[in-house]
Amino acid sequence: MSHTVEVAANHEVLENLRLELRRGCLILAVLAELRQERYGYTLRKALADQGVEIDEGTLYPLLRRLESQGLLASEWREEDKRNKRFYHLSADGKAVLKQLTAEWKTINESLTAIL
Amino acid sequence: MELMDRYLQAVRFALPKSQRDDIVQELKDSLLSQIEEREAVLDRRLTEDEQVDLLRKMGSPVQLASRYREQQGLIGPTVLPIYWKVLKASLGIAFLVQVLASIATAAAGRPLLVSLEPIFHYPGVALTVFAWVTLSFAALHFFGGKIQLNEAWDPRTLPPVVKLERKKSLIDSVASLVIGAIAAVWWLAGLRNPWLILGPGAAFMTFAPVWLTLYPLFVVLGIMEVLRHSLEIARPYATRAQTIARMVTRVLSLTVLAFLIRAGDTFLLTGSPRPQMQPLMTNINFSLHLGMIVVAVVLVAQLVVDAWKMLAGRGEQTHEAALGS
Repeated sequence: MSHTVEVAANHEVLENLRLELRRGCLILAVLAELRQERYGYTLRKALADQGVEIDEGTLYPLLRRLESQGLLASEWREEDKRNKRFYHLSADGKAVLKQLTAEWKTINESLTAIL
Repeated sequence: MELMDRYLQAVRFALPKSQRDDIVQELKDSLLSQIEEREAVLDRRLTEDEQVDLLRKMGSPVQLASRYREQQGLIGPTVLPIYWKVLKASLGIAFLVQVLASIATAAAGRPLLVSLEPIFHYPGVALTVFAWVTLSFAALHFFGGKIQLNEAWDPRTLPPVVKLERKKSLIDSVASLVIGAIAAVWWLAGLRNPWLILGPGAAFMTFAPVWLTLYPLFVVLGIMEVLRHSLEIARPYATRAQTIARMVTRVLSLTVLAFLIRAGDTFLLTGSPRPQMQPLMTNINFSLHLGMIVVAVVLVAQLVVDAWKMLAGRGEQTHEAALGS
């Protein structure tokens, strides 16, 4: 019984750590993918095609948050007879992406050496 | 697609008002794109179970909507929409209790200002209710961080889609409730203290005994009016319950009018009036008698229209299970 509880607790800790690790990476991936204009659905597919899975319930609120922070710009346009919201990197977003990419490379090199 | 519409409606209710349309439109497009892609691969329509799977992957409506909200200090984003609903409902119920207490005090024959005291004390009561509800939800957020509120949700249990045209603005409905409540208390107190209603005229005229005979009916009518306005606020979209409440109020009003019309003179001279007051009193009673007949005819016509709408089911969609605003 206590072993089961311990396993569940460990699993929860692991899941939380995994989520924390992914959170920052997802933002970087989304910003990088939006150097080219896309709407939510195609963005998710483009990310999935490159091995970055993200569910809609996470992606759409994230896009709103990045837009409210001024990193993304968006506009509604009709495509395939439906209105879609297209996102792209703003000027600020481009600058932030550049800095974050440099940061990522540094962390990646350091971690590769450590691990 | 009905399941999807019900899901989006539930998400919509839990979203911040200013972004509702925008977010729901985007989510709808995303869901439709997913459904179309799956259907193209399978070369058939999605079954209900497949639609349910797709919606469950999006997360429960409250969970999904909470991700669009910033952390709100004491109250976590997941329980925030529930917190707002509970807070609004609690404040509404507290107001209703205060109004009913006012009506009961007036019906017991207490003076107008004393009768209105429970309504005037509402701000203090509201503050207490706000504090308790907020503290309870803060405790839930603090101690219940690991409680998964929405683990076992199923899109098939979501309420049916309803029309969202609000017939009356919230401000209008709240104003109607407050004015209606004060008017009911004033009327009940006034029937026992005629100067409150007749003003200086109370020096020479008073209510005929029939008004006091009908006193219990006026109490019921006052309570019904307050409940009807409360219903308008709690369920602002067209509902069968609203029509029924309106019809009950009209039937009660008609009953009161029928007694008054049959009673003949509704006002009597009092004190030691001058002889020339009698023709004036006769004219007043005659005019009121005619007025009441006209109002009764209008009420009957309105009742017929309401009944016809109910039977034809025109624009009166049930909303009992919906989440409210």
